[in-house]
Amino acid sequence: MVQSAQFAHSLEGWFGFLPLWGWAAVSALLVIYMLALPFGGMATYIERKIAADIQDRIGPNRVGPIGLFQFAADAIKMLSKEDFVPKGGDRFLFNLAPLFVVVGSCTAFAVLPLSKYLIGADVNIGVIFILAVTTLIAPGLLLGSWASENKWSLLGGLRAASQIVSYEIPVALSILPVVLISGSLQIGQIVEQQGWTVFGENPATYHFWNAFHNPFTFFSMFLLFVGGLAETNRIPFDLPEAESELVSGFNTEFSGMRFGLYALGEFCDVFVMSAMVTALYLGGWHIPFLDIEKLGFALPTGLVAFIQFHMFMIKTLLVVFVVMWLRWTLPRLRVDQLMGMCWKGLLPLAFFNILGTAVWMWVFKGQSLMQLLAGHG
Amino acid sequence: MNKVLLLAEILTVASAFVVGLHPNILYASVFLLFTFCGVAVMFLYAGADFLAGAQVIIYVGGVTILILFAIMLTQWLYKIKLADIRNKMLLPGVLSIAVGTFLYRALHQMVAALPPQTPEALEKFTATPKTALIGQALLGGYLLPFEAITILLLGAMVGAVWLARPE
Repeated sequence: MVQSAQFAHSLEGWFGFLPLWGWAAVSALLVIYMLALPFGGMATYIERKIAADIQDRIGPNRVGPIGLFQFAADAIKMLSKEDFVPKGGDRFLFNLAPLFVVVGSCTAFAVLPLSKYLIGADVNIGVIFILAVTTLIAPGLLLGSWASENKWSLLGGLRAASQIVSYEIPVALSILPVVLISGSLQIGQIVEQQGWTVFGENPATYHFWNAFHNPFTFFSMFLLFVGGLAETNRIPFDLPEAESELVSGFNTEFSGMRFGLYALGEFCDVFVMSAMVTALYLGGWHIPFLDIEKLGFALPTGLVAFIQFHMFMIKTLLVVFVVMWLRWTLPRLRVDQLMGMCWKGLLPLAFFNILGTAVWMWVFKGQSLMQLLAGHG
Repeated sequence: MNKVLLLAEILTVASAFVVGLHPNILYASVFLLFTFCGVAVMFLYAGADFLAGAQVIIYVGGVTILILFAIMLTQWLYKIKLADIRNKMLLPGVLSIAVGTFLYRALHQMVAALPPQTPEALEKFTATPKTALIGQALLGGYLLPFEAITILLLGAMVGAVWLARPE
């Protein structure tokens, strides 16, 4: 276990009185209650507000100022609903399935680099870790749909699983160019290397954002984004819950907080996907053309972490905004179009990008476009 | 003995027993998923971090989903009860004990053949990242098998694209 539970280690160092695994549990709870749950809650509100704006409506505006506490009202409503398991359904799997989805998407928060000094665990295999834990979502959707004893649910679940399994391949392949460039799977290191300033006081290993490293990575970012959209079942890839065909897809029979868990898992997954695009391609916590740790005077570490955290959140939430914006802009794909796009569109393009990046790294000795333009590196 | 490792081992073995003995094949495959996760944690504690990630991606995200698909798309397969197969337990039981013994002996011999290690050296080995080592091994001494597998997988992928074409 290399460098795992970094945050827990520092907590143990500061306070002490609990063993390491205790602090690990505390930091896991912190991640879930301070990050995943509020984001999932606010995302439902923001999504409705954006939908309303795009459709020229007002949207939720009753609970609290401009409807800000709508998510709390929703949570109370969901908690007070009847806990219903369909007759003939499989109770054990029905209860288990939403947990897979929530565990899969919330665990990924542990390695998200919120700032240089604020990362749950900067593990060696960070990128692989995110890919690995988010695969838990597919069995969750499949088992939940099966346990519902409902043909619409089952169709939705089968669609979800096949879609996630197929699009995992282009997603993983469009991460590879970044790994080629940085020579590391550790997310903290990948983000660190994307710092670059006009004055060129950074060493040669620092290039600008990976999206602008070379033309191939620029396309690769869009591949990752599109593949991520499909993996999180968002429009235009929301076939698993297509309302006009499948009632509500895999979550048709779920009510109360179990349905809430599905929704929460989906929003967390969208956040993780956007954070991955940000960290791998959009420079993570870096402010463009500025390194706040090399200003000539030292800022306190807490302030640096604060600024970096907000930079990361701004970028990630912009990506999340694009995801929500697309929802009210694009129509839904057909199943054959979906598979065709994955296997005949994204997959060859992803291979092309890997090859192109490899050739670029060989020809230009690993220098980015920015380093070449600035003539140092 | 590390407590988390112990938990993972209990999870792995207990779920493996459920996989083997549960009358409902769907439950068996769900618990197979837990077995895979437990094995991944054991890989982590052995210092094989990359292998643990690959284990979860391939076995939980790929193989388990395939098994679930096969069960759900095959009529009546999931309704087979233990009563139907109770009188067929002997051969699988003997076979699994034989395979288990063989694997245990092979593993035991392999471990015994290794040069003796001090606990400190083992600790250090566990703590070094393995991803780069795996990459160097694949593109160094094991280049030929790696390339052969690559061609095989590329063929499989082209075949999948060919099957997915319209008409």
